[in-house]
Parts: sequence; structure tokens; C-alpha cells
Amino acid sequence: MEKIKQNPIVKKIGFNRIVLCGVLILMYILFSVTSKGFAGLPRILSALNYAYFLGFLSLGVTFVIATGGIDFSIGPVMFCAALISGYCLTSYGLPTALCLVISILVGFLFGCFNGYLVAYWTVPPFIVSMASMNIAKGLASVFTKTQSVSWPQAAEAAGWFRKLVKVGSFPVGLVIFLAAAVICSLLLNNTKAGRYILSLGSNKEAVRLSGVNVKKWEMLAYVICGTLVGIAAIFFVGAYTTVQPGYGDQYNNEAIAGCVMGGTSMAGGLASIGGTVIGVFIISLLQEGILALGINKNYQLIITGLIVIVAVYADVVARRRKN
Amino acid sequence: MGEVILTMKDIDKSFPGVHALDHVNFEVRRGEVHALMGENGAGKSTLMKVLTGIYTKDSGTITYEGKDIEFHNTREAQDAGIVIVHQELNMLGHLTVAQNIFIGREFKKGIKIDDKKMNEEAKKLFDRLHIDIDPTETMANLTVGKQQMCEIAKAISHEAKVIIFDEPSAALTEAEIEELFKIIRDLREQNLGIVYISHRMDEIKVITDRVTVMRDGTYVGTLITNECTKDDIINMMVGRVIYEDPKTASTVPADAPVVLKVEHLNAGRMVQDVSFELRKGEILGFSGLMGAGRTETARAIFGADPKESGDIYINGEKVTINNPQDAVKCGIGYLSEDRKRYGIVVQKTVAENSTMACLQNYMSGIFINKKAEKKVAQEYVDSLATKTPSVDQLVVNLSGGNQQKVVIAKWLINDCDILIFDEPTRGIDVGAKNEIYKLMNKLASEGKSIIMISSEMTEILRMSDRIVVMCEGRKTGEVKIEEATQEVIMNMATREIS
Repeated sequence: MEKIKQNPIVKKIGFNRIVLCGVLILMYILFSVTSKGFAGLPRILSALNYAYFLGFLSLGVTFVIATGGIDFSIGPVMFCAALISGYCLTSYGLPTALCLVISILVGFLFGCFNGYLVAYWTVPPFIVSMASMNIAKGLASVFTKTQSVSWPQAAEAAGWFRKLVKVGSFPVGLVIFLAAAVICSLLLNNTKAGRYILSLGSNKEAVRLSGVNVKKWEMLAYVICGTLVGIAAIFFVGAYTTVQPGYGDQYNNEAIAGCVMGGTSMAGGLASIGGTVIGVFIISLLQEGILALGINKNYQLIITGLIVIVAVYADVVARRRKN
Repeated sequence: MGEVILTMKDIDKSFPGVHALDHVNFEVRRGEVHALMGENGAGKSTLMKVLTGIYTKDSGTITYEGKDIEFHNTREAQDAGIVIVHQELNMLGHLTVAQNIFIGREFKKGIKIDDKKMNEEAKKLFDRLHIDIDPTETMANLTVGKQQMCEIAKAISHEAKVIIFDEPSAALTEAEIEELFKIIRDLREQNLGIVYISHRMDEIKVITDRVTVMRDGTYVGTLITNECTKDDIINMMVGRVIYEDPKTASTVPADAPVVLKVEHLNAGRMVQDVSFELRKGEILGFSGLMGAGRTETARAIFGADPKESGDIYINGEKVTINNPQDAVKCGIGYLSEDRKRYGIVVQKTVAENSTMACLQNYMSGIFINKKAEKKVAQEYVDSLATKTPSVDQLVVNLSGGNQQKVVIAKWLINDCDILIFDEPTRGIDVGAKNEIYKLMNKLASEGKSIIMISSEMTEILRMSDRIVVMCEGRKTGEVKIEEATQEVIMNMATREIS
């Protein structure tokens, strides 16, 4: 075991991530055996639909968790962005492109709001994101007068944005999501922003005393998160059409599960974009499998809840062993 | 000295990439004070952690009271009578002395905690140690020295037979150290085995019976303290002779330009109306007792804490420093006494920590130029002789002295002209200390100006060109090195108290 861990190739990819890939493959085999007709492209495409929006949420929250913070508003903010921009499209007749920009803008503004309060007013992230979760829900309901919004279908002219998700049966969304993951990875590991975000997650005071504007970089993590949540909203409606006000919380847990499962530490300072991507695929496949097996959807809530606890516990244990 | 109570034989322990303990031997007799010495990273702490069950040994045997034992956690070790008094005190400030001593094993009356009984028992412990502390006093109100004595009382309340003192004197004043020694002698009389870890050579000569020296994870030897000299021990520790005399005269010309001038600085109770000048190429010592306000002054200058009033001039020009960013822009670097909290980012590599203050110089476009970053980090690893397998090593895996060097590298890479060294050698052994002294002298000769805060008189007298003395938040004196003696400085440092 130790020998495998010390292998240079394994070290490069990360032992944890190889195990996760194994889990992913095993899950796929398991579902294919237990559920008739699970194997094949349609189920994979369906799971991917789920993976796109969840993936953007998870990528976003990875940056926040890297600072040692948390964001429980991502799911509701995604719904808020989808509702406000969708309402602009269907009720005010604004062009689709502009509505997509509005969606990203809503996410961005929530990110600025959360980040400013956390970094400059030093309100605990838990409290800030709980509050903005409710603000997002309320705002969306007020804006849409508590009506659900249905985005146009692919056949309609205004429905061209669905090509971002799928053209024929080619998963365009996968390409975009993976490209986004690569950009996020570069951002986190190879830029000043990423370096400071990770460092301040590990020891904020030492970074501050190195003459770094820690408030700015901490806020930036939330802004990046918010922006990615705005993009997540586009992929949500691109795959599922209808959005209802007052929901979205269940995706918080799933996005955070994907992130911590992938090796990002809840204590901050350690994050892996590659791990987050695999984590998201696992959650999405799980969702699809539960659907295919005809198990009550509520079990998924229980399972992802347990995943978060197990993943965080594993991180705590690993940390303790290191010390 | 009585019979052997504890024997550690051929103890071996490896961590990934480090052979921390290489067949180390160590023994403690009843009624002796046994010093455990060695440079930072020599393996002293690791050995004690193996003993008390924090680490599991790879091989070797531990014999305690005639039986082979292996503890799995500190609790087991405690129950068997082996306790550590840590350098950092583990006390809860808002509880009383007695509550702290009996925490986790409170006396109970039904379901109620029996505070009266705890106070009585604590009083008995203090009587046994001949110290005068009120068990009902709130812990936070005690001085560091008194708190340490409570730790000792707590240790012996476990029916300890072996007590390990891990650098107990680091935070104590001279008088408190005297009192500590009295207690240690008492415990020796009571036939306890005592392990004393310290870097202070003078103390070793005064208090210990035997000395065991470790170097680079190996056992070097055991000497009887009375039969050896300071130099013998140092030679064993570093494997070479090092010693430098105190500075007798300053080499800084009297007309050297003033690079930093602080006027009427005020920041809370600990910094009141402090003014001084720092010249180019000078090492300005800041002396004083614990809590004299030296660190607070440094932090206020550096912008780490807010200041109320006062002016700062750099090269004759008035500057505004509201936060550390401003200070770094002005070319000031601050090396904290508490490097773990304020100096290093433990989960980052040596290279990443080295460029923390000037990452903007190692960018190509929007990306970090990791090659250039590693190159410059390697240069400073080489020039500061930092012991690390590579610049990609996480600093958490480095020893204290080497972590300190990484922090120094951070400021040197940023090309700071004014360096504030706050207790730069605290918790660092003789060899690494000398390297840091040499480094400071070299920096000063290259035209950097250094403020050195130090609680060690020998360090102050050996390094400084000029000495500022503080007491209770005020500057109480300033002397040139030519006129400085221990008495003169102590006199100033206690001016307001007496």
C-alpha cells in the first residue's frame, strides 16, 4: 500500500483521486448490474445533465472552502439567478444572451455581498451564507411574484442556449464544464489569487503580516464562487427547463459533498479541483442510479448527507495523523 | 541519585523522508535531574513524544519501573506516572487555579462539583511544593511564572514519578526561574526522576545532574554535569567549537543616516510615547522584561495593530503605515516571536512561503513563474543553510530553527532594508542560534538595519550596537553598547516597577 502511494505517477495524480475514480467505476458497474437498461448512453447523458450545474456549484464552493469558509447560499442563489433571468426572458422579452448575462450577474452580486460581509465586516461565513440563502429565496419569489418560470425549448428561437448543454447527443456541456475545471485549476494553483486564497485558508494572520491584502483575496473567493453559481443556473435551466421559487437548498449539500469528497479540506488551505470534478460525477451518478432503481429520492438526501460527514471525518483523521 | 526508573533503549522512529530517531538510548534515575539537549530537530521532542505515547516507536524498548511498557496516549502515560510540563501552557484562563489543576477529574458531591474539596487538595499540592498561590484565584490573573507552577502542581497531582520539563524557563523572568529551580530541587529530594529540556547552557550547569546530548536523531552521549564544561556539551551538540564574545564597540559610524525614526508612538496601554531612531547598518537591541511592550511597539510600527498617535519617518520622509501592506511597501520586514502563528503558512511549501511577501516579482503574465520562484527559494535555502530535503517540502515538516530561516528568507527575498527581529532565537538551539547571529551581523554589514527584540541579556549584549530599554509600555532608557552592562540595563528595565 505504502509502495503504491509513493509511486511517482500515483503521487502526481493523488492517491485519493485514484480511489475516487475506482469508486465511480464500481458504482457504474453496480448500477448497470442491478438496474436493467442502466448501461448505455442515455443514462450517462442524463447523469451528465445533473453533473454540469452541480459541477459549477461545486467548483465555486471549492474556492470558498479553500479559504476556510463555507457558502450555504449556492443552491438558492442558483435558483434565484435562474428565476430572475428567466422572468426577464419570458415576461419582459429580453434577448436570451442578455438574460444569460443577467443570470451570471445575479450570482456575481451575491458573491460580492457574501464576500464583502465575510472579509471586511468579519461576519462568520456560516451566518452570512445562511442569511443570503433566505435573501435569495425571498428575492426570487418577489421578482417572479411567486410563479415558476419555464425557459424556452430547444425548438424555439430563444432556446438556442440549450446547445450549450447538448447538440444532438453530443455533450457540449461536458466540454465546457471540463474546460471550466481546467481554468479553475490554473486559477487556484498557478495564479496569485489562488496562492493567496489557499494560503490565507491555512494561516490568515501570517499572510496578512506578509503584507498581503487578505481581505481583498478572501472576498475574491466568494466572488468567484458567486460567478460560477450564476453559470450553474444557465446549465440548470439548459437541462431542466422549469424553476420554482423557494427551492434550491438540497443542492448545497450535494455540491459541498462533491467538493470535500474530492479532497478539499473544510479547515481551509487544501483544495483539489480534479477531486471536486470526480466527486461531482460520483454524486451525479448516484442520483441517476437512485432514479433508475426507483428508490425514493429522499434516500439520496440521506446518502449525500452521510457522504459529507464521512468525507469531513476522513479529512479530520488525516490531519490528526499528520500532526 | 537512586536506581534507574526509566530506560529507553535503541528507540527508532521514522517519518516519511526523515529518520527522526536512530537507535537512541536514554535513562532516568530516581532523584536526578537529567538534561536532554540537542539542536532543533535533534529529536528531543520526538523522543519524549514516543515516551508519552503520542508517537508509536518503530523499534526499541522502553522499560519503566522494571517492566517493558508502551503507552498509546498521554493519558496512559499520565496514569502510570509520566507527565510532561509543556513549554506552552495549557491552561483555561477563566477558570480558577484549582479547577484547572483538577480538570477532567473533578471531585464531586452527588452530581455537583465539589469546589471546596478541590481548593483544599490544590492547597495541599502547593504546600508540598512550598509555593504560595491561592487556589481560588482566576488563572488569567496569574503571571506566566505562577501559571507554570500550577502546571507543575497539576503534574505531581497525577502521582508523577517522572516529570518532563520542556523548556520551562523560556517565558520566565530571572526571579521566576530561581523559584522554579527551587521546586525542581524539592522534587528531586522527593525522589522523582526529572527530565529537563532546555537550550540555556547556564541553567543546565546549575540545575542538572546528568546531560544526555542528541544530534540529528542520534544519541551522542551522556555526561555527568559536574564533570564537564559548557564547551564539552556544545561540542557534543554541534560537533564543532563555536563561541563568540560579546560586542565591545559599535562599528556603525556616528554619522550613519537615520533610516527609521519613530516619534511619540502610542498604541494602547503597552505602547506609550515611544520615540527612537534606527541608523543604517545598525542592530538596535530592544531589551526589557516580559510584557514591557516591545512586541507591541514593533507590531504598531509594522501596522499589525492599530496605533493611536505618533509619527514614523523612513529615510527622513514621513510615512503612513496603517497595515502590514504599507509597512512592506516601506521596506520593513517583521519576524515574529511566534512563527507558527504569525510567520509561516504550514501547509505551503518552502518555496511558496519564501515568496509570500513579494509574489508580484515572480509572475509571468497572470501566472506564477514557479521555476523562478523555486530558483530564488533554493538560493536562500543554500545561503541560509536551511535544512530541508527540497524547496517543495511543506514547512510543517521543518524544525523550528529552519522554519525561522524560511521566514527570514521571505523578508530577504523582498529586499527589506529595515528588519524587525522579535525574539529571533526563542526556542532555537545553540548551533542554529549562532547561524542566526552570524546572519544578522552579515545583514547589518550589508547596510540593512535591524531592530532586535530579545529577552536574553547575553544576546542583547552580544548583538546590539545600541540598546533601547522598555518597561511597562514606556521607553525607560537608551545606552550605547560601549556603556552597556547587565546591571545598567536591568536597572532601566525595572525602573518603573521598583
